[in-house]
Amino acid sequence: MVNALDPQNIKNFSEASVSVEIETEDMTLNIGPQHPSTHGVLRLVAKVDGEKVHDVKPVLGYMHRGYEKLAEVRTYPQITTLVNRIDWVAGFSNEIPFIAGAERLMEIEVPDRAKYIRLILTEMARISSHFVFNGAYALEVGALTPIFYAMEDRERVLDLIESVTGGRFHPNFNRIGGVKPAAGAGPTTKKNIQDLPAGFYRDTKIAMQKVIEAADQFQNLIGGNEVFKKRTKDVGVLTPEIAEAFGVSGPILRASGVKSDLRTQTDYLPYDQFEYEIPVGENGDCYDRWDVRVKEMVESAKIVLQAIDSMPSGPLQAKVPKVIKVPKGRTYVRAENPKGEMGYYIISDGGLGPYRLKVRTASFSNISILPNLLEGALLPDLIAIMGSLDFVLGDVDR
Amino acid sequence: MEDFFNNIKESFTNAVLEFETINIKVDSTQWIETHEQLRDEFNLKFFSWLSAVDWDNDVSVGEAPKESVTPCFELITCLSDVENTNLITVSTTIDKSEPQIDSLVGTYEGANWHEREAYEMFGISFANHPNLEKLYLPDGYEGNPMLKSFELISREVKPWPGDVDVEGMPEDSESGEQVDG
Amino acid sequence: MTEVLIKVGLLAGAALTGAITFTIMDVKGASWMQRRPGPLHVGLRGFIFPVAEILKFIQKEDIIPTEVDRPVFKWAPAYVMVSCVALFAVVPLSPTLVVADLELGVFFALAISSLGTIGVLTAGWSSANKYSLMGGLRAAGQLIAYELPLILAVVGVVIQAETMSLVGIVEKQIEWGVPFVVGGQIVGFLIFMVAATAEMMRVPFDMPIGESELTMGFMTEYSGIRFLIFYISEYMNMFILCAIASTLFLGGYHVPLLPTEWVNFYGPIVLLTKTAILGFILVAIRWSQPRFREDQLQNLAWKILIPASLVNILVTAIMKVGF
Repeated sequence: MVNALDPQNIKNFSEASVSVEIETEDMTLNIGPQHPSTHGVLRLVAKVDGEKVHDVKPVLGYMHRGYEKLAEVRTYPQITTLVNRIDWVAGFSNEIPFIAGAERLMEIEVPDRAKYIRLILTEMARISSHFVFNGAYALEVGALTPIFYAMEDRERVLDLIESVTGGRFHPNFNRIGGVKPAAGAGPTTKKNIQDLPAGFYRDTKIAMQKVIEAADQFQNLIGGNEVFKKRTKDVGVLTPEIAEAFGVSGPILRASGVKSDLRTQTDYLPYDQFEYEIPVGENGDCYDRWDVRVKEMVESAKIVLQAIDSMPSGPLQAKVPKVIKVPKGRTYVRAENPKGEMGYYIISDGGLGPYRLKVRTASFSNISILPNLLEGALLPDLIAIMGSLDFVLGDVDR
Repeated sequence: MEDFFNNIKESFTNAVLEFETINIKVDSTQWIETHEQLRDEFNLKFFSWLSAVDWDNDVSVGEAPKESVTPCFELITCLSDVENTNLITVSTTIDKSEPQIDSLVGTYEGANWHEREAYEMFGISFANHPNLEKLYLPDGYEGNPMLKSFELISREVKPWPGDVDVEGMPEDSESGEQVDG
Repeated sequence: MTEVLIKVGLLAGAALTGAITFTIMDVKGASWMQRRPGPLHVGLRGFIFPVAEILKFIQKEDIIPTEVDRPVFKWAPAYVMVSCVALFAVVPLSPTLVVADLELGVFFALAISSLGTIGVLTAGWSSANKYSLMGGLRAAGQLIAYELPLILAVVGVVIQAETMSLVGIVEKQIEWGVPFVVGGQIVGFLIFMVAATAEMMRVPFDMPIGESELTMGFMTEYSGIRFLIFYISEYMNMFILCAIASTLFLGGYHVPLLPTEWVNFYGPIVLLTKTAILGFILVAIRWSQPRFREDQLQNLAWKILIPASLVNILVTAIMKVGF
């Protein structure tokens, strides 16, 4: 029995307490696959020391559907259906590089009107994707209202996409050599194909004006919010060097100050016909990534408005053989998708389907920097950084 | 594009510009050096992707190559220059019996996940990779799904209806009937 | 004995009514700010949906995970609830319409309100869930940090009123002619409201719940009636803290120029109106602000609010002695 009041013991205790070291152990925290902020089924295994996070290990594969393998047993027109589902937030823009690749191998010249329709719908897909990002990102840093505004505004854009293609998320509208003749135009109406629905130009102009207003509203209500700035400025800073080495592309790369936009660099769609700016960030933090996307929405809306005004007339389809066989060859076509560079490397052996199709998706490379960015971040920052990368799990796992 | 191709051609005589894609074939021993050279001399700092192709005459999925090929793995990387239009693919072949090559992670950090994917999908092992483990597939999974010899089980059970459609077409239709629009 | 029982019944009824009213206000406020209809189908344009909500939660299965510390897990919601209900005892609706006009009313209110911390912390700890644990710890840190500015902000009022009885504080304001918020306690009022928002764990201080980070924080593992108790307590807490703020700073049951002899009639209406206005401000903040980060929250408490409230006390004391 130790007598605590004994002076000798008190002395012992006080001396002993100096040398005692509390042993602590870091907690392993599984964030996901079921978690409100992992955009589906991403799983992060993180070591947590209080609120500090380190050794983050992303675990993928919960959404792996093996599209590259499936593509090997499908014909080219069938693959369009598959690739639609890669980045489902912007389904339309997934089709473009694949179709463009097949057309390049077949050396088909696509009619201008088809190209313009593709371009308009791609930009609309970009706008709708950025709307989703805006709402979801605000939700992730704790603001509950913007998602409702974003969804409401996105609805107008989706309605337009639906009126042209018949699908809201998976349009499956591109055909090798052009775009699908509009809904209802079957063999009987061959001579009188109605391509865009009546009133499309008018509705688009109204909707794009609304998009510009909505972007302005986001800039004021979210971007101008002090708490939002506090949560996102100087958080998750990504330097251009690291971004390039990891293949990070799209708005995230531009937010880091690199003026890289495949729309101007490649010619998969006639973007050189229009005037628009490429928004570039300065610091590469979460705020810049958010800001670049909001500005991009406005630029996309401007492109659409210009395209509507200068829409050429003509056929929607180039002449293509009924059974599509792509000649032997290999090519890589990349496109600027809402999430970044998306590309298809097609190796054709002259058959009905590709011998090998490599799908390069933006989100896959974009989130591969997560372990770097999240080292030493706080748990709330982890959510803010992850959200600012704007990934879709279908785009990561394919 | 043309200027860049000519520049590349000076250093890599076997470079091919085909369908707007420049490809250079290198020996697998030159793998790392080539990438370092492209990164430093040609400013191709953007690592786009890495993947592999399984070349085989005996396939259990899809169509076999029309002309006979030497069975091998072809490893392809794609590099680009973010601010310009320059893009290049680099490819090499590795022997199938012992598929091994040096890892690119030291040159391009972003190769990490792509190599892990190639490792699990094709069974190619990358020397000096910091963390060569499965990326997508569950731990106990056996086999390398992207190999041409790997069967698609569901396809065996129930043939894809699309296949039937296409097979029904006459062989000569390629030059025959055409869709006008 | 009968009197005590009646009073307890009244308290519980008042607490529940307050919570339900604030639930309606929160949900309707949200739908108004988010440009959507909100609840419409239950009762009069959806205005009795909280009743349906309560019935729904009561019917649901009360799931208790196997790994939890059962007694602690089961009783944690009760702590939170009790601390909220007990607060209703001291808020005066008029000089006579008060359950207990305690000599140390302010002291009692602040002491009881910190009891909820124990409930939240034990809920997080006993849930055997890492998210719950982090939520519980965040809550404990937050409640301790904001307890101080809350108390210190009230000290200014106490100095000015020279009493700790809530009725006494209101009477002092009637005597002065203007509420304390006009009569020199504006800083105290702001600090009190910020700290109270943090105590309620509402946006922008909702990190202990933080559904995008910690799924549901310390409540993650709760379901059925136990979740309902947490849910209702949140609104009770919101209601009662708004009522206390109205009493301390906004003149309580009285507004200037109204005849004091009729106070028993208009007192409750006046107090509830003031409470509702404060509540509405909280609702508007909740649906328009993002969430702070944990370290920013602590910085705000320790580096801004506490020094500011200390200065507030000093200034109040100087004014009291000097004039």
